[in-house]
Amino acid sequence: MPDTTRRTPSTEPAAGARAADASPAPRRAMRLGVAGPVGTGKSTLIASLCRELAAELSMAVVTNDIYTDEDARLLRAAGVLPVERIHAVETGACPHTAIRDDVTPNLIAVEDLEAEFAPLDLVVVESGGDNLTATFSPALADAQIFCLDVAGGGDVARKGGPGIERADLLVVNKTDLAPHVGVDAAQMVADATRARDGLPVLALSQHDRASLGALAGWVRQVLADHRSGVHVPRDPGPMAPHTHADGTTHAHGGAGDVHEHA
Amino acid sequence: MTSGLGSLLLADARLPVGGHTYSAGLEPALIAGMPAELIPAYMTARLRTVGLVEAAASVLAHRAVGGDGGAPVDPRALEAVHEELLARSPSDPLREVSGMLGRGLVRLAARLRPDHPAVAALRALGRAPQRPVALGVVAAVIGAGEAETARVSLYDDAQTVASAALKLAPVDPVDAAGWVLSTGDVMTSVVAEALAVRDAADLPAPTAPQIEGWSLEHRNKTRRIFIA
Repeated sequence: MPDTTRRTPSTEPAAGARAADASPAPRRAMRLGVAGPVGTGKSTLIASLCRELAAELSMAVVTNDIYTDEDARLLRAAGVLPVERIHAVETGACPHTAIRDDVTPNLIAVEDLEAEFAPLDLVVVESGGDNLTATFSPALADAQIFCLDVAGGGDVARKGGPGIERADLLVVNKTDLAPHVGVDAAQMVADATRARDGLPVLALSQHDRASLGALAGWVRQVLADHRSGVHVPRDPGPMAPHTHADGTTHAHGGAGDVHEHA
Repeated sequence: MTSGLGSLLLADARLPVGGHTYSAGLEPALIAGMPAELIPAYMTARLRTVGLVEAAASVLAHRAVGGDGGAPVDPRALEAVHEELLARSPSDPLREVSGMLGRGLVRLAARLRPDHPAVAALRALGRAPQRPVALGVVAAVIGAGEAETARVSLYDDAQTVASAALKLAPVDPVDAAGWVLSTGDVMTSVVAEALAVRDAADLPAPTAPQIEGWSLEHRNKTRRIFIA
C-alpha cells in the first residue's frame, strides 16, 4: 500500500498539489479514530482537539463508553462543542467489537451526525478504552490516533502491538507526570519511534502548549491530505507473526495483503 | 439459492449488523430486580409474546418481497406489514433500537445486493425500518426460506438474551447455551403460529407490558452496557 501518512506533526504545508493523479477529493467529513487503553487521556485529548480546532472546523464526536456515558458527559461538560454534536454509543461491553468486527452502531452514529450537521469537516470517534490490540477498522476510521500515557509504564511502547506500531499517530500522553511515576518520557518516545519505523510519535501534555499545537497541526495536515485524496486509510490491525499449534509460523498483512472490511 | 448460507449468516452473531449492543431487554430487567434464575423463563416469555409478533412480521415481509415462490416484490404490502408492526410496538425506545438494528440489516443488504428490487422496497420504508421487516427482506434476498426466517428471528432473540446474560449475571456459558436449546418446543410452535398468519392486518398482538415498561426506564439510565 502506498504510504502517505509518514509525517511528523509539524507545520509542513498542505500537500494537495502532489495529488494530481489521486482519486477525487472525498466529499464527506474525515473520520478520526482515537484508541488506546483506559485512562490514557483519550477524552481529554479529544477535548483539546475541539478547543484547538472547533473555531476553524465543523466538528462532531462519537464516544464509546464501556459502562457509563461518562466520556460523553465529560466532553459535554467541557463546553468545547455544542452538546448535540456529541453522541454516545453503547457497545454491549464489546468496545473492541464496536470499532473493529462490527462497526455498524458507530457508523450509524457518524452518519447521523454528518446528516444533521452537514457539512462536517471532522468526526472524532473515541474508542471505549480497550487493550493494546484494539484498533479501528478502516471501514470506520479514515485515520487513527493511538494513545498511551507515561503513567501506564515506560515499557508499554516497547511492547508494541498494531496500534503502537502502525496507527497514523502515536501519542505518548501526560509527559508532565513522567518524573512522578519514575518514567523517562524521552526514552519512551524513543522506544515508540523505533517500534514505528518512521511513523510519527507525539509527546503530549496538557501543560505543554506547543505539544497541543502540534497535535492540532497533525490533524489539519491529515485532513488536508484526506480532502486532496492523498491520504489512504491504513489498517494497523493485522496480527503480529505468531505460532500455531501445528508448529507453523507466519505473519499476516504484508505488502499487497490489503484486507477489505465491510 | 439453496446453499443454506443465508439463514446461517442471519443467525450468526458475527454478522456485522450491530446486534452486540442489544440485550433483548435483559439488562433493564435485571436492573429492575428480576432474579437471574428467571432468565430462562424470561427468554420463553419473549418468544411467546414479542417473539411471535416479530417472527410473523418477518414472514409477512419475506412474502411481500416475493417469498419462497419468487413472486414479484410488492412494496405496498411491505409497507403495510411495517405499519402493522409499528402499531404493535408501543415503547418508543424499543421502536428506536429496532430501527437501529434494522438499519444495520439495510446497510448489509444495500452493500451485498444493491440492485435488488426488494432492497429498494425496504429502503423506501425510510432509513431505519423495524428490524423484523428488514430481517424478512434480507432473508428473502439472500436465499433463506420463510420458515427459516421465522426460526432465525426467534433464535436470534433467545440467543441475544443468552449472550447478554453472560455479561450481566454470574452464568456459566454452557448453561446459557442449554437454555436456548431447551426452548425448542416453544420455538417450534411459535414458528408454526407465525407461518399461519396470512395478512398484515392479522399480525398477532400479544404484548409484554413489563418488558416495555422496563425499556422506558432504561433509556434514562447513565450506567448501562446495552442500549436496550
